[in-house]
Amino acid sequence: MKRLEDVKHHETEDLYYPTMCKVTGAKQITEMEKWYEIEMPNGQTLGHNPGQFVEVSAFGIGEAPISISSSPSKGSKFELCIRQVGTLTNVLKNYEAGDMIGIRGPFGKGFPMEKLFGKDILVVAGGIGLVPLRSLINYVLDNRKDFGRLIILYGAKTPSELLFRDELEEWKNRDDVELHVTVDQADETWEGNTGVITTLIPSLDLKLNTTIAAITGPPIMYKFVVMSLKSKQLPDDQIYLSLERRMKCGVGKCGHCQINGVYCCQDGPVFNYVDIKPLEEAL
Amino acid sequence: MECFSLLRSDVPALINHLGDFGEVIAPHGKGDVSYSFEVVKDNSEVVLDYNRTLLPLKKMFLPPVEKLMDFSLKEVTYEKVDVAITPRVFFAVHSYEMQSILRLDHSMLSGSAESNYFKRRQSSRFVGISFKPDEFHFSDSVGIAIEDMEGFDLFLNEVDGDFQLYVITDHGQTLIDGFDRKELTTPEIVDGREFKKKIRYHYNRLPRVFQYAYHSDVWADVASQCVGCGACNLTCPTCFCFDVQDEVTVTAEDGMRQRNWDSCMLSTFAEVAGGENFREKTVNRTRHRLYRKFKYITDEEGLPWCVGCGRCTAFCPAGISLPDIVNELIQEDEKAQYHRTVRV
Repeated sequence: MKRLEDVKHHETEDLYYPTMCKVTGAKQITEMEKWYEIEMPNGQTLGHNPGQFVEVSAFGIGEAPISISSSPSKGSKFELCIRQVGTLTNVLKNYEAGDMIGIRGPFGKGFPMEKLFGKDILVVAGGIGLVPLRSLINYVLDNRKDFGRLIILYGAKTPSELLFRDELEEWKNRDDVELHVTVDQADETWEGNTGVITTLIPSLDLKLNTTIAAITGPPIMYKFVVMSLKSKQLPDDQIYLSLERRMKCGVGKCGHCQINGVYCCQDGPVFNYVDIKPLEEAL
Repeated sequence: MECFSLLRSDVPALINHLGDFGEVIAPHGKGDVSYSFEVVKDNSEVVLDYNRTLLPLKKMFLPPVEKLMDFSLKEVTYEKVDVAITPRVFFAVHSYEMQSILRLDHSMLSGSAESNYFKRRQSSRFVGISFKPDEFHFSDSVGIAIEDMEGFDLFLNEVDGDFQLYVITDHGQTLIDGFDRKELTTPEIVDGREFKKKIRYHYNRLPRVFQYAYHSDVWADVASQCVGCGACNLTCPTCFCFDVQDEVTVTAEDGMRQRNWDSCMLSTFAEVAGGENFREKTVNRTRHRLYRKFKYITDEEGLPWCVGCGRCTAFCPAGISLPDIVNELIQEDEKAQYHRTVRV
């Protein structure tokens, strides 16, 4: 048990104060989602890992946890992509280049990159789940020779909800990326796959001993994707999932993000499947 | 450890003396039946015989509402709020309350150590007092004796209406230096302070009971009585969950960010934007609260995170009793064990 006398004054932190950062780029990319490029002050870098998140703050409204969407290899700026579903995110909709925004973090555990080097990476992204996984994808692409195959499965509800279309096009045209996109409901323009994301899994030819799966999507998606991967015989410890919770403080104090006894903001949001199997509240 | 005798009539003088160190905070009567820790202004108002305060002492370290910053919407800037380090003496504190502070120390200082909590905590001194258990106290069931002096600097043990004053730490010695209305005496063991409420098992057996209790029917029974008001969390001395909210002034030009106590028993506690609620049902929230007290942290730290103060039970508007829930889980576990044995 940690005791008061074990702690020195200089070891304590002011945990809840954001760094004021400048928005250097902003673009509404779908009806519901806006992309932002953000610059830290004084040449600082965020220093994140793919899969980590920040607390974004707008004074007068509050704070919310938002996944980092850019690769750490991007340098001094980082990117967010935010769906407008809540009070804060609907205010952030009006933020443009030049506006100041509060940032705390990065927080949590991202993907364990040291365990991913040399492996085939299978990315399974449902809807807005592509946002944090784009950080991983671009990290792999920026360090392409350090990884094996890069297989990206991406599902959206409709073609108009597809995010990062320029990049999807670029990934599609690369020889070293295997991109499979599906939509739940096609429209007249759609020529690709139709159906939920799990329909893309059975036909995959995976090297089981060297494939690592990285899954992010809406809560309902995880069980079905995990079941599909298990039926492909992919070992449990090669599956990583990034879970959404109400990560209010980001530092393991406020209690909102707990999954049973685990703080999602500290031990996650990226978990190895083996570690969340005993947690009844996880999936 | 030195032990002095102290007349009850000399306690006001002791409180005055403690005031030389800093602000003295002690139990006061509030209304006809309630008690509250307040700053002592008139030492005759301090209550020495009380069952429990409505709000626990955590309110002095994690205020129910705490301003974190002032911000300007116009300038898009903010200013930190500095927590002043004020010497404080907490007087006439029960042992379970002290134990709750030691648990809060762990919760707020492990991992990322919170500066605000640390500043309030490091300059505090504690003077304990013995108490007579009422129908709700059960702290001996969670390993905390009435005379448990861990964490205290001084301790007042009542003997026949007067007190024995124990000097426990160097800080305690400093606190009473120069106070001369006391005489050396021999510590006495006081009998007759029986706990009326008990958990049937020793607390070190409870994690095993909880290991098998996750799918118990007891949770649905409790949930059917619970009104979801969150009073159990707010009055719990070891609950520390909070929310952070912004308040804007009427000019809409500036405002403040503050943190407020929150409660995992409230229905929106685990809800995220978009409407997904990760602990939507009362039954899940009821279970979560009890697991936070007897399983999750306990597995790691070896101690129950319940200190047996009885507040959640005494102040529950639906009459839900925490020790009764635990005893029901124990009973159910015994039945299950019996059936397992018979089957073999």
